[in-house]
Amino acid sequence: MANTGWDEFEIGAMLRTFEGEAGDIAGTLQEDRKYTENSSFSASVADWRIEKPIFAKDYCIDCQFCWIYCPDMSIISRDKKMIGIDMDHCKGCGICVEVCPTNPKSLLMFPEQADEEAELAQWPAKETKEK
Amino acid sequence: MSEMKKIKNLKEFSTSADRFEGANLLCPGCAHSIIVREVLNATNDDLILSASTGCLEVCTAVYPYTSWDASWIHIGFENGSTAVAGAEAMYKALKTKKRLKQPDRNPKFVSFAGDGASYDIGFQWISGCMERGHNMMHVVLDNEVYANTGGQRSSSTPIGSSATTSPAGRVSYGEKKNKKDMVAIMASHGIPYSAQVAPNKWKDMVKKIQHGMEVDGPVFINAVSPCTTEWKFDPKDTMLLTDLSTDSLVFPLYEIIDGHELNITYRPKEKDIVPVEEYLAAQGRFKHLFKDQYKYLIKEWQERVDANWAYLNRREEARV
Amino acid sequence: MAFDKMELRDIEVWDGNFAAAQALRQCQIDVVAAYPITPSTPIVEGYAKFLSDNYVEGEFVMVESEHAAMSGCIGASAAGGRVATATSSQGFALMVETLYQASGMRLPIILNVVNRALAAPLNVNGDHSDMYLGRDSGWIQLDAYSPQGAYDLNFIAFKVAEDHDVRLPAMVHQDGFMTSHTAQGVHTLSDDVAYNFVGDFKPMNDMLDFEHPVTHGVQTEEDWHFEHKARQHNDMMTKVLPKIQAAFDDFEKLTGRKYNIVERYDMDDADVAVVCMGTSVETAREVATEMRAKGIKAGVVGIRVVRPFPFFEIAEALKGVKAIAALDRSAPGGAPGMLFNELAGCLFNSEERPMLSGYVYGLGGRDLTKKHLVDLYTELQANVDAGKVTTQLQQFIGVRGPKLAFL
Ligand SMILES: Cc1ncc(C[n+]2csc(CCOP(=O)(O)OP(=O)(O)O)c2C)c(N)n1
Ligand code: SF4
Ligand code: SF4
Ligand code: SF4
Ligand SMILES: [Mg+2]
Repeated sequence: MANTGWDEFEIGAMLRTFEGEAGDIAGTLQEDRKYTENSSFSASVADWRIEKPIFAKDYCIDCQFCWIYCPDMSIISRDKKMIGIDMDHCKGCGICVEVCPTNPKSLLMFPEQADEEAELAQWPAKETKEK
Repeated sequence: MSEMKKIKNLKEFSTSADRFEGANLLCPGCAHSIIVREVLNATNDDLILSASTGCLEVCTAVYPYTSWDASWIHIGFENGSTAVAGAEAMYKALKTKKRLKQPDRNPKFVSFAGDGASYDIGFQWISGCMERGHNMMHVVLDNEVYANTGGQRSSSTPIGSSATTSPAGRVSYGEKKNKKDMVAIMASHGIPYSAQVAPNKWKDMVKKIQHGMEVDGPVFINAVSPCTTEWKFDPKDTMLLTDLSTDSLVFPLYEIIDGHELNITYRPKEKDIVPVEEYLAAQGRFKHLFKDQYKYLIKEWQERVDANWAYLNRREEARV
Repeated sequence: MAFDKMELRDIEVWDGNFAAAQALRQCQIDVVAAYPITPSTPIVEGYAKFLSDNYVEGEFVMVESEHAAMSGCIGASAAGGRVATATSSQGFALMVETLYQASGMRLPIILNVVNRALAAPLNVNGDHSDMYLGRDSGWIQLDAYSPQGAYDLNFIAFKVAEDHDVRLPAMVHQDGFMTSHTAQGVHTLSDDVAYNFVGDFKPMNDMLDFEHPVTHGVQTEEDWHFEHKARQHNDMMTKVLPKIQAAFDDFEKLTGRKYNIVERYDMDDADVAVVCMGTSVETAREVATEMRAKGIKAGVVGIRVVRPFPFFEIAEALKGVKAIAALDRSAPGGAPGMLFNELAGCLFNSEERPMLSGYVYGLGGRDLTKKHLVDLYTELQANVDAGKVTTQLQQFIGVRGPKLAFL
């Protein structure tokens, strides 16, 4: 849309989220929706990140804290299981890591350039509580 | 009336399909978004939404993008509530006149607005909406400051907070006025439901939102929304700050039914109550209060919070 | 439908407010969100009473301010239905922010503006200050000169504004008290004929279509704002006048009553002409006839469509005229009057470039007397005779104290 002229868009600066009929949106997962190019779902904020979360599935207990507290709809949960991170929409805030209750954490922040496989291979061990 | 969405636990909640999208322009770690998600995911019904000018609005509908999966409207800073009220009136009219395109739906009308848009400039509009009995919910994203315009004070800004229009300085400890009790003011409109919520207590939030959506008539919700930018804390700590706000009882969670019956809905155990000082210490906006000359203000803060908590308890007990 | 129809006599004695209220009833407005202010209040009271008596089906939302009235109208209109309200003066001024929002969002709301002065000092009577305040707001503005016009132009307004090629809000203006509170014979339409002329509301981008969620009222910055405003202006400039003309033509076929974008009276051979709006048009017409009896070829041009400004139509109406007076009923605030400026704009490039002088009159409901107009035409004729404007370009008429003239 970058260079569209004044005569090339909907009047009133109105935007539509979906192509065609929306159907039961609350009952349709994102991958099954027909978003238009105007839905911010089609956009990416990946370049905002300085740090990124990496998910170590092995430790995850599927508590869903990360899902509920992620401000950017970037924790992908399906069938009550945490399955990964939406790296187009994650802004790298680190909240998911803070709220993850496992020991070691199932999510940790790393520099954006970090290599996921390498980090997973050297995931920190269980911490023993001081005190 | 449609079936209320069943949300027994967080796992069940996590099967919700969000109707609010990422790649919006809110700051990393912004609590506004967490609140919006919890509110929208509390129901599967159709939604008619509005936002008043403020962070939520300017970050979620910047042409040519929208982050909203339901019909949404923004008019101005003060009138988001009335936008939804107008839409609700049209819904009623078209229902009577049998002109709804999908007459079997059961839409919920929700207006989101900041504390500036609610406590200050939009106060009269919201009061009007509450008084007239529209079937709608107004949700305040209460970050106690005009965040979108760079941190000016609002009538929700608490004493001692440094805001850009009430900055702390050599001879000032910042904001001088106490926060306005908006929930009480709205409850005294005699509306069927008003409540204070916090996104960390998602279950309490969902219960209140669902109740609010079920009742007939206007509902007012005040949601604490820690702002990483203006409260000055690290974005990763948004939930920590929310915990501190509820557990210090600076933001007690309660509901008021029919304008009078008050119930406290979150009661931390005595040993878990966090000193207000800890809540203040976690935020840059209160940093100056820790200078010797202003320490008395921290004590006064604690006394105010204690007094308010005692008051809420008395009201709950008295059932009035 | 479950509401009762109303039997009207062919001619009813109505004031402008009641005529407008009847038009709103006959258009079967879905939502009226309103706030009272003199002299427009009876319009929305009328709708409320019709609702109470089951002569209309819809929702009347009595809000807590005019700003909220227009905000509620915007929400209701975006939701997808027929929406109208009324206001005047201070209420109009309070609405201004939302007027721009309504037009920018392309919502076909109808606002009856019963023209009244703007404070300070406070005044409840008719002048055109509020109408002028709205002139850059992106609304279509139609001007009624009588209760009949107030009735008829509401139908025109709905038909044009709701047209999917237009989708712009419209104001129907009438003069406070002079029209709004003066009862005259009004030729009526039957309920069915009136409703059919306007037609069913056809929703567009309606929020209540749950299968097609829409986002209304976005943010656009320097990368998009200009294009949207340009689009809006383009549609106003190119689409509206033809639609208004078509609606006038249809209306004439239906009722025999003929409206024109620019009304001309005795203009065919006029040497001198007065250009004005509202009830003054009728007064000027009477005086023009009297002037003709005295040998001065006087004519009157009434502006029917204030926005979009009928640039070419006015130039055309004034063709061959030698001296023209622009009558502005609003304190110009340090400038020539709006009409003076806009007429100057459309005549400047004409070959004849007639003489143009401006008159500020009637503020706060001050009468425009026949004597004023006789003097004015006489001055215009003197200009013609002298071959130049013999007075200052801006004169105040009807104000007490030493003569006031500028420029
Ligand atoms: C009539 C009007 N006055 C002022 C503004 C400028 N303005 C826009 S948003 C805003 C502050 C918003 O504060 P709040 O409602 O608390 O929302 P937040 O950004 O903090 O979420 C201000 C002052 C405006 N847009 N409109
Ligand atoms: S880092 Fe922030 S945005 Fe990214 S997944 Fe975690 S909580 Fe969500
Ligand atoms: S918070 Fe941690 S344990 Fe819980 S679901 Fe997310 S990754 Fe798994
Ligand atoms: S300034 Fe505060 S409220 Fe605004 S987007 Fe950033 S974190 Fe959210
Ligand atoms: Mg705020």
